Amino acid sequence: MESLANQKKFIVPIGPQHPALKEPGHFEFTVDGEIITGASVRLGYVHRGIEKGTESRTWIQNLYLLERICGICSHVHALAYALGVEKLGNVDVPPRAQAIRTLVAEMERIHSHLLWLGVAAHEGGFDTLFMYTWRDRETVMDLLEGLTGNRVHYSVNVLGGVKVDVDEKQADAIRRGVDFLEERTKYYMKVVTTDETFLGRTRGVGKMTTEQADELGTVGPTGRASGLTRDIRVDAPYAAYPLYPVQVVTGTSGDLLERFIVRIKELYETYRLIRLILDKMPTGELTARIPRRIPENEAISRVEAPRGELFYFLKSNGSEMPERIKVRTPSICNWSSVINFAVGLKLADMPMVLSGMDPCFSCNDRLVVVNRPTGSQVWTWEELRQYGINYYR
Amino acid sequence: MTTITLPALIILLIFPGGLFLLASGLVYEWVDRKLVARFQNRVGPRWFQPLADMIKLLAKEEIIPTGVHPGLFVTLPVAALAAALTAALYVPMFGFTPAFSFRGDLVVTLYLLSMMTLGIGLAGANTVDRFSLVGATRTLTQLFSYEAPFLLTLLGPAIMASSWQISQINVYAHNVWWMIFTQPIGFVVALVGLMGKLEFPPFDAPEAETEIVSGALTEYSGRGLALFRIGKDVELVIGLTLVVAFYLGGLANPLEFLIKTLVLLLVMAGLQSLFARLRIDQTVGLWWRIGAVLALIQLLAIIIGRFIGRV
Repeated sequence: MESLANQKKFIVPIGPQHPALKEPGHFEFTVDGEIITGASVRLGYVHRGIEKGTESRTWIQNLYLLERICGICSHVHALAYALGVEKLGNVDVPPRAQAIRTLVAEMERIHSHLLWLGVAAHEGGFDTLFMYTWRDRETVMDLLEGLTGNRVHYSVNVLGGVKVDVDEKQADAIRRGVDFLEERTKYYMKVVTTDETFLGRTRGVGKMTTEQADELGTVGPTGRASGLTRDIRVDAPYAAYPLYPVQVVTGTSGDLLERFIVRIKELYETYRLIRLILDKMPTGELTARIPRRIPENEAISRVEAPRGELFYFLKSNGSEMPERIKVRTPSICNWSSVINFAVGLKLADMPMVLSGMDPCFSCNDRLVVVNRPTGSQVWTWEELRQYGINYYR
Repeated sequence: MTTITLPALIILLIFPGGLFLLASGLVYEWVDRKLVARFQNRVGPRWFQPLADMIKLLAKEEIIPTGVHPGLFVTLPVAALAAALTAALYVPMFGFTPAFSFRGDLVVTLYLLSMMTLGIGLAGANTVDRFSLVGATRTLTQLFSYEAPFLLTLLGPAIMASSWQISQINVYAHNVWWMIFTQPIGFVVALVGLMGKLEFPPFDAPEAETEIVSGALTEYSGRGLALFRIGKDVELVIGLTLVVAFYLGGLANPLEFLIKTLVLLLVMAGLQSLFARLRIDQTVGLWWRIGAVLALIQLLAIIIGRFIGRV
């Protein structure tokens, strides 16, 4: 066994199994004492082959498969897919259905942001805030359950509309819940911005300027905290967002504290939107008919997930099954914002900085092969399978 | 003030040292965990949970990892627990007269209490696990930061009582005004120092689970871990007793002990749930920039006060 003193680098491995990680990922931090001198990330522990899986399922079956890409932002995946398929099939979705989709998407944003606030506080050792936010998050989980019947995979969408309707009783329950949550969120804002020990862990940590954020392609609240005004709900409104305009929340300083503030302010905006949608809910049908066979075409569908831009590319070949579905999730765009800024931070900061971008590992993992300019190769299914087996060996 | 004396062997093995001390350590751990849980809006453990944990750990196989010095690996937990139990003999546990007492036993007690932290630090440094090594560095760094201010704050009452003997300070504290009112700064620093000593949040950087899993004790399992944990529980009881005896009007009987230590534990549990974890550099900065200065100011105030009182 070689002595550690003889090794040039002292590497602290985090993951794939580690108390800080709720999902598997592997990070290696080279440290000098407590200061980080190098960082690397290795993903791929929960690759499920979903993109390939979609090619052997029908358009309708894929809705259920794609909703299960992520357990936190499940609705937006189904929404992005449904919007894309409707674009391919030239179907006009009734406005009431679009409003309900938007309502559920915003409620999901509440649950996701509160979940993140708790996790980020826990990573910083502030377990009281963690317990409090997760207790209050139950409110919105219960509301979603009352509305859709499910707490996690709401399964609201069908191709061409939605399954569930909102009646006045449910709307009142949601209004009451949102009022309660708004009070609580104001309290959390106070805690996050005034608690000295918490400020000591977040202020000035992991700072990223607007230019750097732009260059690294940062999306979502992580980018908005650095001053990027990038929000699909505003830039390219989808579903019912043209009816209910959104104010972009941006920050300036780009540090960890700003990411907390931006997300909490986004919650205020979400509460306002939910009230607006409930007050001005369009009337009419919930679904439109959609053909089983989607005409041959290509479509791009973008939505704003709680973590940032979610991108779907859909290609149909005129049959019941898609030719290709490509998913680009926001977490994968944001990794560089963590790894590139790790050097110089303290080891104790890393769990918080990692969680500061709200990583979601399950939607991250994919197989990417970069071809050399000289040639391309076609892999057969068997070769692909063998590659996977060797990768995990 | 009336005190009760017991035969030496019983004091050592059963009451108030030995078994009873271990049991009370578990009870105080439960009270602490339950209080923190309630403050955090959780249900918290049942009353026998610490005991159940301990029995389970003691019954488990102890894995000695490769790359460690096996003798040291096995001895350190025993030594740490032994030091904590020995320290109890000089302290007025449960309101009884200390089993043993001599001039200057305050210093010996404080060093025996530090053995625990030192043991944990050495245990971490003994292994080759990276989390343990980082944890050991942090444990020892923290030891050097809180130890001096904590010592200074216990010195305040000692100077007032003109004695370095814990039993005499206890009697003195019982007969005068509670020193929490005459030396409030000293009390605050002593209380926070005790939290640092026990590695309670927000001073739990040495065992921050989201960074370094379990710090210095990452490689420990079974018996060794059980001994370290119960040693820490014992240290909690002793630490509470010391602070109560010095600052909260001394201890004369078990009822007084129970009420005063539990109130202090309630305050400590509240402090534990209020803050985010401090980074190790923040901990050191806090102690040397604020803690040590405050303790010195308190000490100066006492010395000047005594000087004026004499003139």
